[in-house]
Amino acid sequence: MNEAARTTVTGRYREVFEAARPSLRGAAAWRTAGFARFAELGFPGPREESWKYTNLRRLEGRAFRPAAREHARGLELELPAALGEHRLVLVNGYWRADLAGPSLPAGVRVRSLDDAHADETVAPLAMRIPTGGGTESFAALNVAMSADPLLIEVDAGVRCHQALHLLIIAAGAEAAMSHPRVVLRLGAGALARVVLHYRDDEAAERFVNSMIDVELAQEAELYAYRVQAHGSRTFHIERFDARLAAAARLAVRDAQLGSSLARLDLNVSLAGRAAETEITGLFIADGSRHLDTHVLVDHRAVATRSLQDYRGVAAGRGRAVFNGKAIVHPGAQQSNARQSSRNLLLTPGAEIDTKPELEIYADDVQCSHGATTGQLDPAALFYLRSRGLSETEARSALTRAFAAAVLSRIELPAVAELVRDMLDGRLAQLLEMPS
Amino acid sequence: MLSIRDLHVQIGARKILKGLNLEVKAGEIHAIMGPNGSGKSTLASVLAGRAGYDVTQGSITYQGRDLLALAPEERARAGLFLAFQYPVEIPGVNNAYLLKAALNAVRKQRGEAELDAFEFLGLVRDKMRLMQMDESFLSRGVNEGFSGGEKKRNEILQMAMLEPKLAVLDETDSGLDIDALRVVANGVNSLRSPARAIVLVTHYQRLLNYIEPDFVHVLSDGQILRSGDKSLALELERRGYDWVRQEASAA
Repeated sequence: MNEAARTTVTGRYREVFEAARPSLRGAAAWRTAGFARFAELGFPGPREESWKYTNLRRLEGRAFRPAAREHARGLELELPAALGEHRLVLVNGYWRADLAGPSLPAGVRVRSLDDAHADETVAPLAMRIPTGGGTESFAALNVAMSADPLLIEVDAGVRCHQALHLLIIAAGAEAAMSHPRVVLRLGAGALARVVLHYRDDEAAERFVNSMIDVELAQEAELYAYRVQAHGSRTFHIERFDARLAAAARLAVRDAQLGSSLARLDLNVSLAGRAAETEITGLFIADGSRHLDTHVLVDHRAVATRSLQDYRGVAAGRGRAVFNGKAIVHPGAQQSNARQSSRNLLLTPGAEIDTKPELEIYADDVQCSHGATTGQLDPAALFYLRSRGLSETEARSALTRAFAAAVLSRIELPAVAELVRDMLDGRLAQLLEMPS
Repeated sequence: MLSIRDLHVQIGARKILKGLNLEVKAGEIHAIMGPNGSGKSTLASVLAGRAGYDVTQGSITYQGRDLLALAPEERARAGLFLAFQYPVEIPGVNNAYLLKAALNAVRKQRGEAELDAFEFLGLVRDKMRLMQMDESFLSRGVNEGFSGGEKKRNEILQMAMLEPKLAVLDETDSGLDIDALRVVANGVNSLRSPARAIVLVTHYQRLLNYIEPDFVHVLSDGQILRSGDKSLALELERRGYDWVRQEASAA
């Protein structure tokens, strides 16, 4: 993008930011700093390496306005089936205390900047501006404009096996933008399960610019289930940053299923000795969806372990990008980094660009990576058809089998079932269409 | 039931079948024997509808229909079954799912109701007992990690479940030890019926000790050179294939 165009876009966002300021509660200094950083960086352009395959011109061209607080507060919503024991709801980035419940177990606290006097206690914890990476400017914009940042804290030693179902909903007739922000902080030895469930009502185009910020103290354990289930008209940009202290453990089960254009940057920093992460995911780019997933794991300490295992499906005019990277920093000896990216193209017009990367600056490490992109095995298809299954049934069965390897990692049955149902529904639609 | 007339088939530019004729009636068992590369497996593949084979001449009529105009699944639903020489491993697709989906597809075509879970399980248990297969195979991926013998048993299990009108067994005996061969043959024999035809494609006579054919055909260089009864198979076992070729070229 040239300088003039960049100025126009940031100029427009500046107007929007200034207009929204009076309604943005608290954290004034952070918001100013956030917007300044955004204005400095602007929207990423196609010349930036991490945006090589994802063009944001369409998003830039849209004049999204911030969603209104009163509107979000007043919306009557049909909520989806529960995916956890406790429900937390953000609508257009606004905290809906009225939809939350039942009350959380002792040692688990949810606070919002929206709460009275939360500014002094919540803002310093919740308003970190991440640096670096392809989504830095969006994260900065998120700090500037996030309506009700949500701070979820689990006290040291509290092991909460009940899942928190965090619904992040975009709704209403307006083509609005929202900047959901969720900060998760687990104390030493704490355990939590959180479902990050993105949805919209497809009533209008939207821009959802989300930031998830995770901090795990020593030996804390977080299971994060991410279900990005937007409709087909949403632009979804998300930055998910996690920092793990010694022997902390993070499992991410990602399902990137919706949106017109979605980009996820998932950055995990294994900062403490023997910290460990396991990131598994599925994306389905059908129709004319563009789904871009960037995973980065930094091994910064001794004996850290990581696994990235993603499977991708593309069909129709769908396009997907997967970039998985692990960096083993100097001194992070005895680390183990494994990556696998397997991709399936169901129709000739679809495209998946995958790039596993390893950077190793230590000598005593174990690393492996692999990436494949292919079509359904013709021999297996023929075998199933020779037993009487229609071509559609055979293709569907083989595609489900392909996805099963990562779906079987989803430990929460309700989440696994939802993702499976969504996959089945998609397959029924896209395989019935003449190719 | 099956009538193959002057069948010419090629893969790319390579001609494999060069004017093959075969008549199979209900109740009959035919053995098609021949040296490696004679076109036996091509014949089996073309019958089942595998892609990549060009039929350049001739016809195949199955129960009065043009078989070549049918998709593989339509052939299966019309009662044709191919036991694969190399059954495909399909991790992630459950064996029970395949058996049930296949059975219900065939039943639907026959105008029969779908089996419920209870009926299905009862039937599949019976057939697994016949094939001496452990029930744990049901929950495994199709042929996933099966030994050669287990794969072949699984093929015959599918066949026993689907009760085809015409079964084509492609080298089902290859790679089987004597015990497995008996089990497989026993499974096939249990399906012998006046309403059903079976075509055995095999390299060796060994299988025919257990499944007695009504007709034996020698396929060589894309044509059936000689047909006879089961004594022809014994003669082939004794004398090899060369004499058939020599006699054919002399004639």
